[in-house]
Amino acid sequence: MKFKFLLIPFVVAALGLFPARAAKLRVVTTLTDLADFTRNLGGEFVEVRSLASGVEDTHGVPMKPSFVTLLNRADLVVLIGFDCEHVFLPALLEASKNPRILPGKSGYVDCSQGVSPVDIPKSTDHSEGDVHPYGNPHYMLDPLLAKTAVGNIARALIAAAPEHAAEFVRNRQGYLAKLDAKIIGWEQELAPCKGVKFVSYHEHWPYFAARFGLQYFGTIELKPGVDPTPRHIEQLIASMKSERVPVVVREPQFPEKVPTLIARQTGAKLITLPIMPGGVPDTTTYIAEMDYIVHTFAAAAK
Amino acid sequence: MKKIATALCLGLVMPLAGARETNEVQELRFQLQQMREYFDKVHAEDRALINQLIQKMEVVSAQGALPASTNFSPLAAGKTPVETAAPDRLKRLDERVDQVVEAQKKSLPGEFNPAIGLVGETIFGYRSKGSDQTGSARPGGFDIFQRSVELNAMASVDPFAKAWIVANSSADPLTGEAALGVEEAALQTTSLPGNLTLTAGRFFGEFGRLGCIHDHELPFVNRPQVLDRYIGGETRTDGAQVNWLLPTEHYVSLTLGAGDQFGGDSPNPNNPGTFRSAPKLNGWGRLSTYFDLAPSWQLEAGTSGLWNPATQDRGGVSVQADGGTLTERERRLAGLDFKLSYVPLRDNQFSSSTWGTEVLYSDNRYRFDPNGNWNPANPFSGPGDGEHLNGVGSLGFYSYVSHKWSRQWSAGFLYDWVQAAWNHSDQTSAYSPFITFAFSHWNQLRLQYTHTDHNAVSGFKPDDAVYLQWAWIIGAHSHGWTQR
Repeated sequence: MKFKFLLIPFVVAALGLFPARAAKLRVVTTLTDLADFTRNLGGEFVEVRSLASGVEDTHGVPMKPSFVTLLNRADLVVLIGFDCEHVFLPALLEASKNPRILPGKSGYVDCSQGVSPVDIPKSTDHSEGDVHPYGNPHYMLDPLLAKTAVGNIARALIAAAPEHAAEFVRNRQGYLAKLDAKIIGWEQELAPCKGVKFVSYHEHWPYFAARFGLQYFGTIELKPGVDPTPRHIEQLIASMKSERVPVVVREPQFPEKVPTLIARQTGAKLITLPIMPGGVPDTTTYIAEMDYIVHTFAAAAK
Repeated sequence: MKKIATALCLGLVMPLAGARETNEVQELRFQLQQMREYFDKVHAEDRALINQLIQKMEVVSAQGALPASTNFSPLAAGKTPVETAAPDRLKRLDERVDQVVEAQKKSLPGEFNPAIGLVGETIFGYRSKGSDQTGSARPGGFDIFQRSVELNAMASVDPFAKAWIVANSSADPLTGEAALGVEEAALQTTSLPGNLTLTAGRFFGEFGRLGCIHDHELPFVNRPQVLDRYIGGETRTDGAQVNWLLPTEHYVSLTLGAGDQFGGDSPNPNNPGTFRSAPKLNGWGRLSTYFDLAPSWQLEAGTSGLWNPATQDRGGVSVQADGGTLTERERRLAGLDFKLSYVPLRDNQFSSSTWGTEVLYSDNRYRFDPNGNWNPANPFSGPGDGEHLNGVGSLGFYSYVSHKWSRQWSAGFLYDWVQAAWNHSDQTSAYSPFITFAFSHWNQLRLQYTHTDHNAVSGFKPDDAVYLQWAWIIGAHSHGWTQR
């Protein structure tokens, strides 16, 4: 028995392999806007990690094995929904071997619950490109719909850690009040732009356009996920000229060449807008991101 | 004395416990109160919204009729709901509700059906030498080969498992006749505890990097020769494997499996006799890990092993140039692989680079019969007439680089080199530049040139080949973890 000390390394190793469950809720979000909301709501009671760093395309977050271990230990996975993450999340969830966060389980937090989608395709045939059968998933660019996502996250946090319900409710109210105040400011800033037409590379902006009274004229992509053909670019330039479209939006994930060409040939102003926090410098939070989008668009549409 | 001490202790502890209980009850009451307030507030907000809509409907009804419905599109519309009149808002609301209902109609009837997809792959090729001089299963000259028509179906079985099937029809290289075969038909658990997953049935066993993916998912046209020669193409097996994701922050995955037959082109199951003991099955394993070298740089590495202690006459009796024969008696294969990838976070759909390498060492044991008179019908007879068992150590590897510079275009270079498993003096090497154009994610063309060299021992001639591969996908197509 005097060699008991030889067991110490094995005990230490076992503790490393099976660490004690942390007191904080482990939340993994797919995108950075959801991470920002969760941090604001959960405060000190949550440990939040986002799979995306902010610069990625919402449909193109690389599938890294290091994400598997993050998801394996997660209490909640928070996602946009409407099939936004179909390229990477289902495979990661399968590899993570964490039944708590599979679809249908309480740890699977689909923030699109309660959001009424637009652009639901009449057909999911691939002749329409990489369509989302449940509708356009980019509702986070409408701050009123983002509030629905905030509510969904709050409900999931309360269900997962009811002992902190009071704090979550208080944080939710505080954050929504802050967001409401910003929404009034954004609506005022974009009020002079009502009816302004614009095009973008990918179909990210229908909710944003509807919320602020802008006219979403079309996309540079031929179809979602399909690069533009020379004929499509030609037709887009012709119709933009005849309809006097003054703004071209390029999301930073997409190449600059074609948007620049279109802007130059139509005389439109080219702007780069992020699609989630971190997409461009100094936009680490949702509010900072929307501030940037609204200021940049308003300046371009003047 | 002990009883008195116990009573005193209990007397001290009980009030404390009671006090803690009271505190907990108060805390729970407080939380309950907070939650009630929260839900009451949400309920009141929803009720107010419903009332508001009802009032507006009444106003519109009183004014006459609702305007005729038109398709709402934010691309065409663009007016904010705050700015538009109530009839417009109601019309839009109606249309959006209709859209959601229509979407549900589309998905609900198919809910219990599997996700079904079909992959087609045609290879248009020209090879400068005939198959008698190259050892290839495909003829020389012009060759149009419908390599796969692959039907995939996958669905959850119940809350505990999913299942899938892959049926493939490909033409026989000699007769041209198409035969439908089941490449995969397997069940996999989805909720085993302890980070475990069990797969059973016919599936691609986890061995190496490119052995366990389908032909059309390869980054080049043809599977590297070392995989064809040492594994038999795809790592297909009839068996079971367990995968364990180690519960650590660093990614480490361990797989162990056992099965009859291993390798897609193996002609028969191993040991097809009247009784098969456990050592006559294949056993395999793989340990893999991953490192985030930088946000955009990834390194995956793994090591694999395959062992079948009693393969008997897998692949039949091979007649050598000197008239002697050799028969595989034990199969031993080890592999090391890595993949270094540059995947820029921002524009990875338009740009990425990969360097992948896999080295395999085959250490099979063969029964040599210099006279060629060994009787396979009596495989357990002892050595005689100079017959002996001997291990042959052979090495092979492939290495490739590929670079993607737009969503549609990518190109790369593959080099592979292999020694024959039964004779390491028999060597073959090949190099293949390739370029890929993807019309879309589901439709791509790949052009590849391959120069193959054989040394004198092999008895084959060097040759040149050009391939044009056209691959397409219809229906459901998911990006699985293995194909990442």
